[in-house]
Amino acid sequence: MSTKRKSSVKEDARNAKAASSDAAFNELFEPNYRGKGWTDEISTAEDKWNLLPAFLKVKGLVKQHLDSFNYFVDVDLKKILAANQMVLSDVDPEFYLKYKDIRVGKPGIKFDDKNDDNAIFPHECRLRDMTYAAPIYVDIEYTKERKIVIQRNLEIGKMPIMLRSSKCHLQDQTEEKMAAMGECPLDPGGYFIVNGTEKVILVQEQLSKNRIIVEADEKKGVVQASVTSSTHERRSKTYVLTKNDKIYLKNNSIVEDIPIVLILKAAGLVTDLEIMQAVAGQNPVYQEIFAVNFEECSKLGVFTQRQALEYLGSKVKTSRRSNVKLTHYQEGLEAVATSIIAHISINNMDFTEKALYIAVMTRRVIMAMADPKMIDDRDYVGNKRLELAGQLLSLLFEDLFKKFNSDFKANIDKILKRPNRASMFDALLNLETHRGSITSGMNRAISTGNWSLKRFKMERAGVTHVLSRLSYISALGMMTRISSQFEKSRKVSGPRALQPSQFGMLCTSDTPEGEACGLVKNLALMTHITTDDEEAPVRNLCYLLGAENISVIGGAELHAEGSFGVYLNGTLIGITKFPTKFVSSFRQFRRTGKVSEFISIYINRHHAAVHIATDGGRICRPLIIVENEHPRVQVEHLKKLRDGEMTFDDFLKQGLVEYLDVNEENDSFIALYENNINAETTHLEIEPFTVLGAVAGLIPYPHHNQSPRNTYQCAMGKQAIGAIAYNQLNRIDTLLYLMVYPQQPMVKTRTIELIDYDKLPAGQNATVAVMSYSGYDIEDALVLNKSSIDRGFGRCQVLKKNTTVLKRYAGSDAVDRLDGVKMERRKCAWDPNSFEEVVTEQHEVLGPDGLGEVGKPVKNSQVYVNRCIPVNNSDSLLNQSTSSSTEYREAPVTYRGPEPSIIDKVMVSVTDKELYLIKVLLRQTRRPELGDKFSSRHGQKGVCGIIVNQEDMPFSDSGVCPDIIMNPHGFPSRMTVGKMIELISGKAGVLDGSLQYGTCFGGSKLEDMSKILVDHGYSYSGKDMLYSGTSGECLQAYIFFGPIYYQKLKHMVMDKMHARPRGPRAVLTRQPTEGRSRDGGLRLGEMERDCVIAYGASQLLLERLMYSSDAFEADVCQKCGLLGYQGWCNSCQTTAHVVKMTLPYAAKLLFQELVSMNIAPRLKLKEVF
Amino acid sequence: MNKESFSPSLDSQNLSASASGVANNKSYAVKYLCANCSSKVVLIRGDPVRCKECGHRVLYKERANYTVQFSAR
Repeated sequence: MSTKRKSSVKEDARNAKAASSDAAFNELFEPNYRGKGWTDEISTAEDKWNLLPAFLKVKGLVKQHLDSFNYFVDVDLKKILAANQMVLSDVDPEFYLKYKDIRVGKPGIKFDDKNDDNAIFPHECRLRDMTYAAPIYVDIEYTKERKIVIQRNLEIGKMPIMLRSSKCHLQDQTEEKMAAMGECPLDPGGYFIVNGTEKVILVQEQLSKNRIIVEADEKKGVVQASVTSSTHERRSKTYVLTKNDKIYLKNNSIVEDIPIVLILKAAGLVTDLEIMQAVAGQNPVYQEIFAVNFEECSKLGVFTQRQALEYLGSKVKTSRRSNVKLTHYQEGLEAVATSIIAHISINNMDFTEKALYIAVMTRRVIMAMADPKMIDDRDYVGNKRLELAGQLLSLLFEDLFKKFNSDFKANIDKILKRPNRASMFDALLNLETHRGSITSGMNRAISTGNWSLKRFKMERAGVTHVLSRLSYISALGMMTRISSQFEKSRKVSGPRALQPSQFGMLCTSDTPEGEACGLVKNLALMTHITTDDEEAPVRNLCYLLGAENISVIGGAELHAEGSFGVYLNGTLIGITKFPTKFVSSFRQFRRTGKVSEFISIYINRHHAAVHIATDGGRICRPLIIVENEHPRVQVEHLKKLRDGEMTFDDFLKQGLVEYLDVNEENDSFIALYENNINAETTHLEIEPFTVLGAVAGLIPYPHHNQSPRNTYQCAMGKQAIGAIAYNQLNRIDTLLYLMVYPQQPMVKTRTIELIDYDKLPAGQNATVAVMSYSGYDIEDALVLNKSSIDRGFGRCQVLKKNTTVLKRYAGSDAVDRLDGVKMERRKCAWDPNSFEEVVTEQHEVLGPDGLGEVGKPVKNSQVYVNRCIPVNNSDSLLNQSTSSSTEYREAPVTYRGPEPSIIDKVMVSVTDKELYLIKVLLRQTRRPELGDKFSSRHGQKGVCGIIVNQEDMPFSDSGVCPDIIMNPHGFPSRMTVGKMIELISGKAGVLDGSLQYGTCFGGSKLEDMSKILVDHGYSYSGKDMLYSGTSGECLQAYIFFGPIYYQKLKHMVMDKMHARPRGPRAVLTRQPTEGRSRDGGLRLGEMERDCVIAYGASQLLLERLMYSSDAFEADVCQKCGLLGYQGWCNSCQTTAHVVKMTLPYAAKLLFQELVSMNIAPRLKLKEVF
Repeated sequence: MNKESFSPSLDSQNLSASASGVANNKSYAVKYLCANCSSKVVLIRGDPVRCKECGHRVLYKERANYTVQFSAR
């Protein structure tokens, strides 16, 4: 039966492509395509936003994660392999093993497996606590008995696979196929499943690598240019800095700061003229500033390159392990070649490129010394790079692969060392034994989040997070989150502030409040993060476009008036005299698709430089190209887009749209709307609402709100209870909140449609009356209509999981087991003389298999998994003789909670280690109660203050009664005008039978909405005449009345309520325990104590702090003042002076502990009362 | 420790984890449903967890044959 289903699934996969094009084709037959009919007019100004869904169709919301992972698996993996290709033996010079190729398969499918019946799908991994991982295959060539053997498709480990990536079964699947796999088609993917938990590698923000950053410390008067070099082999940081107006070079491999002229001489710029030309050029100001540095060098007696290298070599930190002693000259050469500016590789000991790089750094320092404005901004987004899952995994994999190879090498060396080997040596067998190290290394790193790489001394914790499935939005919000490497405790505002360069790249509203404020950011809706591109072809293109190669020109031309340096990824590769022409022709190549669309090029006139960037991690976004005051995207293109004849990629290929990164954006003139275009305009914004991210995009009319309110909503939208995914009822998550009747909002936004929030909503359209009612609505409390609650308003389900694994114990064959139900003899209810066998109350819900019966309610302290574990499993040595009849001890799983739950699901399965796995899902249905938290979409949260019968609620003349009464005091200080407009638009939508839009910087106009209200006989203002529910009289004011989308937040009273009359105490201090989970007491704290002291209620104090807490009757000897016991003083050896007194047990404990430290606290007793 | 989770004080009788009464350790066959092909799988204690039809290794317990009353709130 299953094979049938699976084969049909397979067939679907083959037809997937065809089917998806069918879906697009069928869409054309719809009477409306994205709200446009066939005959409707199309205008570029209004319809260019259609590019956005087209973009998201190609790119998707989490495309950056997928792109990064795909790049890692397809490209980076091969690069890593090529860099670590050979394994040689120290013992046998004839032995070698060479990796030829590497590839990653698909989860569960062996390379030679033609049928994919064994394919493992993500949902099964979640259920069975497995890792969604695919095998890594290599092709190797090695020597075996002096013959060369080639072995293909050798598995070296398993790699966790990102969902929806190119190696995932879910890639490009139709909705039907996804459903067959138990997967939600709306789930964004981009995360990993490791040991059954969904793990996200958050995007990390860092300062760019391999770029010069100039900073100044105004207090100390220090200017420094720093560059963090990062290559596969090493990481180093090099500084060029000023000290007493002289310039030095600092590097972590050199003991002291080296005069800059000396370094330049060591790097091959020998004559002072050369140096002066390379650094200062013809500029007399710069020459003046730099001149002092020559003196420094000549004072040291260094004039030639050899002298310079020898001097440098004497200052190098030597941490050499091998016994080879290098001369100072060699040390110096080595330092210049490898550790200083390590990212520039040296060929044939030609240091010119490196010398020029140092010269450029020096020049930047001098420029900043001459003009303090020439320093760089660390917080500028263009100076940032985003590190994604792919990069982090590639670091991890390279480390593990190196370790794998060195382990393997150590292993074969050990075998080859043996003088006479018994069997024929086959390296393959040894290779296979290490297979687990890569698999477990990757699993461990992702599941714990600890990235510890010895090679880079990298020790990062908290790289991965568990994907939050509180709501669809919280999962989505997590995928777009960017965490910063900055310390949270530092009190600098710079990194937290909103940077103007974030416009369109990072969401302006979505950031948490509190300590991470401004450090955790979110991507805007239409962004892309680049992956690495090949440098060499771009370099060649630059020369073809007329850039003069740097190796053939000297310093004089370099800094000549009107010549611009061409920098490729921060490295000077040439100069051009015609930067504008150079840049525009380069852009022409990009727009025609001859070079990658993600390569950015821009002119920096302050530095007289043309910068080209091909590196990964830059944020960029698409914009419409404007030429000759006309946007390239015209009506016909949008028509083709509507008809499905063009996709977003076609727009790119035809040069209508292009990606700009932050730096290139600064070199452009972007019009917000089509009517803003003038002669200088280069680009046109696709849609202004894309400055917001996915989470902030839920807010209707956010441009009418005070900005912090939007930020608050971004935090709250993630806590809203709603639908999570289409497969939500098949999931068994630790904790899941589901809304019973979720509704899509009456007032939508374009973003809501794009991220499918309308398909997985989290909230309900409540009819709200903005008025005062009773006194239970102060401080943002809401009045709820009891009948609405009965009808299902705010009703939600809480699903909790319990996992039980039946363990196996090492050293014995004892296994955990499940026991059956326990019976007891009880007096028969109807016949007091007879007895009956009944199930004990504790085991009432258990079935014969020792697991709870599905559908039965479990009450507090009832058992729902009757597990038994073997006794004495630890000292198995002694127990071996009696192992045949192992004794078992009950270790059942009992339910704990104030309200009973219903057993929703009982799943039995096995883990990948063949252990019995039981997951029990418990369900509770909750209706809103006093104290439950609700919020509108405008940062206006409130708790339910009172639940009122519908007959007591106000009503309108048409009989409409509100679901919620909100106090109007919530408005004046919050200034959430957007909420008022949402109400009016929503009301218009209700009357009209339509859904209105509240898109940012657009949406339905208030005037039109008022028109609809008036047309239906309502007041334009949205206010209605209401009758009092209690007296039936008209209310004395018109009431602002209409639907507002309300979210129920996860904070519910039932999870928080706590009270205790008497209860457990801590063992050590005998004081009441702390916290709800331990049924703890409520603490009368220090400050409360102060109040009681100030008031003078000493007896109350005595009661609270001693009698109700940890009163203890102690025996005190009045003679020696120490504690005795049972009326006996041990130090005086008498009972004569011992008296009883009551004191806190904690005090007694303190005295005893002091005694143990040789301090004798002596009590002097007096009669007080 | 999760602070949010509730654990009420246990009565003194319940302090030992084991329930009172006599254990009934006969093995019964219990019906499960395969998560993949929805066929019924009958397992007795000690049986490997595997669907007899399709070999799938995730099984769900069948819904109990009891009437369950809910309070309509």
